[in-house]
Amino acid sequence: MRVLIQLRPSSELVAAVTDPAVTVSPADVADGLPGVVLDASYSPVAVPRPVPAAGGDPLSLSGPMTFSLAADDASVLVRGEISDDELSTRVSLLPGTRTDVVGVFADPVIEPNITCGGDPPVGDWRDVERLLAVGDLAGDGLDGSGVALAVLDTGINHEHVALHLDREVTLDGERSWVPGGVDGTPGRFAVDHGTMCAFDALIAAPKATLLDLPVLLSQRQGGSALDGLLSDAVAAFAHLREVLNAQPEDRRALVVSNSWGSFSPRWDFPVGHPGNYSDNPAHPFNVIVASLEQAGADILFAAGNCGRDCRDGRCAFPDRPIVGANSHASVLSIGGVDVNNERVGYSSQGPGRLAKRKPDVCSYTHFSGSKAFGDDQPDSGTSAACPVAAGLVAAVRTQWPASRLSPAQLRTLLRRTADDRSTAGFDYDYGYGITDSKGILAALRRRKDA
Amino acid sequence: MFLVTVRLPPEATLAQAVERLGLSEEEVDTGYGLVLIDPTQGLYGLRVTEAAARRIDPATGEGPYSDPPIEPFGPPR
Repeated sequence: MRVLIQLRPSSELVAAVTDPAVTVSPADVADGLPGVVLDASYSPVAVPRPVPAAGGDPLSLSGPMTFSLAADDASVLVRGEISDDELSTRVSLLPGTRTDVVGVFADPVIEPNITCGGDPPVGDWRDVERLLAVGDLAGDGLDGSGVALAVLDTGINHEHVALHLDREVTLDGERSWVPGGVDGTPGRFAVDHGTMCAFDALIAAPKATLLDLPVLLSQRQGGSALDGLLSDAVAAFAHLREVLNAQPEDRRALVVSNSWGSFSPRWDFPVGHPGNYSDNPAHPFNVIVASLEQAGADILFAAGNCGRDCRDGRCAFPDRPIVGANSHASVLSIGGVDVNNERVGYSSQGPGRLAKRKPDVCSYTHFSGSKAFGDDQPDSGTSAACPVAAGLVAAVRTQWPASRLSPAQLRTLLRRTADDRSTAGFDYDYGYGITDSKGILAALRRRKDA
Repeated sequence: MFLVTVRLPPEATLAQAVERLGLSEEEVDTGYGLVLIDPTQGLYGLRVTEAAARRIDPATGEGPYSDPPIEPFGPPR
């Protein structure tokens, strides 16, 4: 077994290890360790000593402290191999045999095990359903009944969604909206990205009412086969405000899922120009996002697939890829994790351009679900994570309309209850963590009782 | 085409916007129409030609604003 051995040699030797101008071999530090074959290719590494603050507990690593690389404080690591058949004996006896040995530690093989685009599905939508505690949500009456769940995308194929969920699906054609020039009827578009999003949104909110807004099918001048223009999204949001205003004020519940964005600064004015979109809260789309949220809508945007580990080839922003409304302070920006709670490598990292603390939270993606792209293809991208989270929000809205819990309060609830994936609270990989339905339910029950 | 904005009273029409901005109907995307962006500010948006957008008088309207293509994020390529 490969091991790391921590030693505290003479202060002169520690000083030599910490001096980049001096070459020290493993044998200089740890020659003669019985039963240990030293790895000559691994240069000794100095390890600083944790020094507690004045009056602090010297045996605790949880209090405030500094780290000292002083020759009298630091120790040194070397790497070696111990035979597996006498591993436990040698590991136990080694510190007693040599007074300079501080400890022996396993050195496990570490492998990149991150999910990327093109990888097969990780789990299926039933796993997502379980992770979202959909049974518990339904037990508290949170199933999406009476909640409008708008999917702005490539259009929904209602039949496909119902078939693959194997249950009835409600889609409201009257309150849906199709951009000018787009042929088609809400709920009857070709199976594609929007159908995947609709399927994923209904995992947590099976009784929500879908609204179909195929903004990405727009054929306006400047668009192409499967993209739209931001102005189409402006018009769609204006329509959604009418939908919201038509709801009784005390029962407003509209969730808007957006798994799209702008990949390139090429079509945008430069940052600093008053007409810029990516970094400019005064752009008309960013203004209408704020306006719709203020009127009571919950707006979710995918963070994007420009994560450093395996970014989408279309990503053209040189840095800070969460841009424009995807990074708006009034929306939830959703990163992606697989069903093993590990961030997928393509999930865009913050900081955001409009608001720095992005993504807000993560939700599930890269699972076998809608089969919109083929039987063996996952619902992937933050494109899937966003509607999964939107479904959770829609479930909450069943009993908690905007009049009882404002969109800002709901965002805070999701952030506060998220399962933190780092040691320091918010981080630019996971945001505040992975959405936690049970935490949300507990918080809502407390709020109800208060 | 570019996006521009104009401030108008409630229930404003595209014709009112065109008149306020001093444009002709040919310079405006009439299919897109006039879109209410923020009712609290009386702020509306419309799509106009590049030449028209560059003529907008800051006293009557704002813009041009970019109108970039938007795409579905997934599946990751």
